[in-house]
Amino acid sequence: MNLEEIKNRAKEEIEKIVDLKQADDFFKKYLGKKGEIAKVFDSLKDLAIEEKKSIGQQANTLKKEIEEFFNTKNEEIKNAKNQTNPNHTAEKIDITRPGQKIQRGHLHPLTLVMNEACSIFQTMGFEIAQGPELETEWYNFDALNVPKDHPARDMQDTFWLRQNVSEIKNQKSKIKDNEDGFYKSNRLLMRTQTSPVQIRYMESHQPPLRIIAPGRVFRNEATDAKHGAQFYQLEGLMVDKEVAASNFKAIIEDFLKRFFKTNVEMRLRPGFFPFTEPSFEIDVKRPDGKWMEIMGAGMVHPNVFRSAGLNASVKPGLGWQGFAFGVGIDRLAIVKYKITDIRLLYQNDLRFLNQF
Amino acid sequence: MRFSYNWLKEYISGKLPDAKKLGDILMFHSFEVEGVEKIGKDWILDIDVLPNRAHDCLSHIGIAREAVAILGLRLKMPLATPKEDKNLKIRDLVRAEVEETEDCPRYGAIYLKDVQIKDSPGWLKERLKALGLQPINNIVDATNYIMLETGQPLHAFDADKIGKQIFVRRAGKGEDIKTLDKEKKAFALDENMLVIADLRKPVAIAGIKGGEETGIDKNTKNIVVEAANFNPILIRKTSQKLKLKTDASWRFENGIDPNLISFSLDRVAYFLQKVAGGKLACGKVDIYPKKILPKKIKLETDYVGRLLGFEISKAQCIKILTSLGFICNDAGPKHILVECPTRRIDVVASEDLVEEIGRVIGYKNIQSAFPKVAITPPKINEEFFWQNNAKKIMKELGFCEAYNQSFIGEKEKEDFQWPLKNLLEIENPISSLNKFLRPSLCFGLLGNVKENLKNYNEVKLFEIGSVFQNQKVKEKKMAAGILAKKGKKNEGFFELKGVVEELLNDLGIMDIWFDDAKAIPNNSITNLWQEQHIAEIKTNGKEIGFLGEVSFNLLDVLSIKERVFMFELDFEKIIKLANQDSEYKSIVFHPPVFRDLAIIAPSGTKTADILNVIESVGGKIVKDVDLFDVYSGVEVGEGKENLAFHIIYQDENKTLTSREVDQAHKKIIEELEKNPEWEIRK
Repeated sequence: MNLEEIKNRAKEEIEKIVDLKQADDFFKKYLGKKGEIAKVFDSLKDLAIEEKKSIGQQANTLKKEIEEFFNTKNEEIKNAKNQTNPNHTAEKIDITRPGQKIQRGHLHPLTLVMNEACSIFQTMGFEIAQGPELETEWYNFDALNVPKDHPARDMQDTFWLRQNVSEIKNQKSKIKDNEDGFYKSNRLLMRTQTSPVQIRYMESHQPPLRIIAPGRVFRNEATDAKHGAQFYQLEGLMVDKEVAASNFKAIIEDFLKRFFKTNVEMRLRPGFFPFTEPSFEIDVKRPDGKWMEIMGAGMVHPNVFRSAGLNASVKPGLGWQGFAFGVGIDRLAIVKYKITDIRLLYQNDLRFLNQF
Repeated sequence: MRFSYNWLKEYISGKLPDAKKLGDILMFHSFEVEGVEKIGKDWILDIDVLPNRAHDCLSHIGIAREAVAILGLRLKMPLATPKEDKNLKIRDLVRAEVEETEDCPRYGAIYLKDVQIKDSPGWLKERLKALGLQPINNIVDATNYIMLETGQPLHAFDADKIGKQIFVRRAGKGEDIKTLDKEKKAFALDENMLVIADLRKPVAIAGIKGGEETGIDKNTKNIVVEAANFNPILIRKTSQKLKLKTDASWRFENGIDPNLISFSLDRVAYFLQKVAGGKLACGKVDIYPKKILPKKIKLETDYVGRLLGFEISKAQCIKILTSLGFICNDAGPKHILVECPTRRIDVVASEDLVEEIGRVIGYKNIQSAFPKVAITPPKINEEFFWQNNAKKIMKELGFCEAYNQSFIGEKEKEDFQWPLKNLLEIENPISSLNKFLRPSLCFGLLGNVKENLKNYNEVKLFEIGSVFQNQKVKEKKMAAGILAKKGKKNEGFFELKGVVEELLNDLGIMDIWFDDAKAIPNNSITNLWQEQHIAEIKTNGKEIGFLGEVSFNLLDVLSIKERVFMFELDFEKIIKLANQDSEYKSIVFHPPVFRDLAIIAPSGTKTADILNVIESVGGKIVKDVDLFDVYSGVEVGEGKENLAFHIIYQDENKTLTSREVDQAHKKIIEELEKNPEWEIRK
């Protein structure tokens, strides 16, 4: 067998090959176990040593050459095949061009803050509770130990309703006059605080309990950059046999640390709320070093327990004690997102909402 | 209230820290100090006395008492030792009669003869001015000064202008009084108001302001100084009704201790003799039928620690309470019997004493400690949970969340022609903007659309919130979405319909359909929605909301140029229906087969009717039907539409042959053709 002849034939054949099947046949014919090259090596065993050596070397070279033919062709076919798929174009991409504008929706910053606050408290075992925005005078004031006709009711100017019928959704309490002659007023108002949820929840749940109640509250006052006629509060309440102010402090410190994601400095100072005794005001230090009031709190007043039909007693282990607090959600949002005007929260300008 | 640092110093023996430091101390133990400002040689502290301490702390002595208790110093009471003239007897000069002791628990007065009316000394004028009071003459200034000192409002009458007999009585109908101020304003009185009167007529509005006619003038020689105690509610109501707030009314409406009167009268008499001379009549007018005695509270001292969360000894409790003027008597190993000074009207129970002890020690000394109770994982609040889920779904669907006002104004009510009988009305709105409670979320959202279209070509918003109607159920939670796109036509409806379907499906509510909204739940709907562009959203045969186009009429009124689509869902119904359980259905591996079908039908034909035929005749192997084109034009014919569907055939258990598919498809066509109005294009 003339090696040169094999090479020429192979070269001729490879030129004609157009697809992978033919290429595969070509491989078998020349490079396969029973192919031409294998035959050449087989024939060597009958030759003299000198010849064996020289032809062997030539056969090796030939093998490499044919392998080269095959590989080149194989690659060529594959590439050619790719190019015929119209989807696979290989134009240049200018990676500096802007990405497509994808329109997504946005949650309101108050929702974001409320959800974050709620999830922090939930990890501490607080359950979410809710109550109506349209409340009765009993739940909003009387049950919370705010005396009738006391200036304390002036502190929170109230939106009263002209209609004064008593059906309110979820009204579970069985209102009846109690012994000290407290008139349980069904007069309707827009709740001025989320604290009525404390009473509503305690009426239907036996302590120990831990709740938070986020919600919208209303004050009848003129709107400016810092105050609105409506805003959001997050009420908290923990009741057990032995709950102390020190426990409140620990829980709130932990909350603030996790909410602001830094060791935020806080301080407690005396405050006054008819429904807590002792009462505290809680300030946090803003990054600019100024103190800002963010919540009111205190130990639940025994009269509040009584309004909800629970036993409050100063004897250890006999009655319930607990703490309650109310955080301004709008305030938290303002600090967290550095919002300068509270009115932006209720204008729903997409240029504002799209930022969250 | 504004307080003078130098003045406070007069009541304290021992070293008082500087004004700023004192401000900080009061802040952490008593009240918020809103400012400390230097005026001349003095410092003025602006202290926001808490409402429950207005009884005793709207006075310099009150604040000094706080400071000494916190700092461990001693209180130094000012002199109150006037010289009485043996020859003058008060009962010969002035007498008082209190008709209603409920309204006026105590009435006291003194008489000074031959006073000298002049300007007050400079230091007194300066002090009053620094605290925001206008100096008038030495008599009036003295009464004001002693009020700022003791907290007891005082009033001086010209004794020769009022008769010998003073009455404390309700005003009669038609009575009026000119008061002592620059405008000399006349106030009409009524029988709910209390007055101080002589035999002829009212000489002062009790607890609020004195009358002009009996006031001190430069010719006054003899004076009667009154110190009384009035029912706080009565004073508050009168002050509100007359729109007249004074330093006196402010103190009385918070309630003050009737026992303050004796000291205040002695003190003002002493002070008046210093600044105006005069001879003091022996004795006082003092009508005080029901003497207020100190309350006694038995305090279990361990309770203090249990509530505050730190250990505190009985001795410490006694020390602190004593420093605040409480009298402590031992009442057993763990108890003390605490006698409260009558000025502390706020202290009625053990918890109040705990607060006193806690704040004097300082709340910063409370060490944080997590509660030692078992953590039970909180229950899920369904309402909150589903509300949040819905919000997240709407966000994924490209909508932004809005928070609108819960109020609507007169104008919105008119614009939407919302029936008044359906609205809940605010009795005391602050402006016409919040006269009513919103009966629907659409008011706010439409306003938002209008504003945002100024900056955006497309507005997609949603809101979940309470709406209020004058019905049996007054408050209801709703979820609403709104969509407006410049240049959008009917497709806006279908985009929003897709959104509603996606939202409900994602909340686990699957069987939804849309019905022509025929039954009108209330009149309002006719003005809000465009007729025939409104659908009832239903599931399980019940209406859960509406989807539709905002009426062109309303858009004109609101001057919104684009077409606007909206939905509103009863979220309370949604919560009941929503569920999270979904179950995996095996993927069908047998290939689907597609066939197209075009049908020419009269315009206005319900697509749902055609779909019903296709699905019922096709049976189980009709996997899905998709309306991909609606066309009307000359080729189709006048008053007709061409509707083109993809029908997807697939069997769960086997690969369908084309013969099987053809047969099914043919059957569908035959059935459709039974309707003479429908023509299948072949």
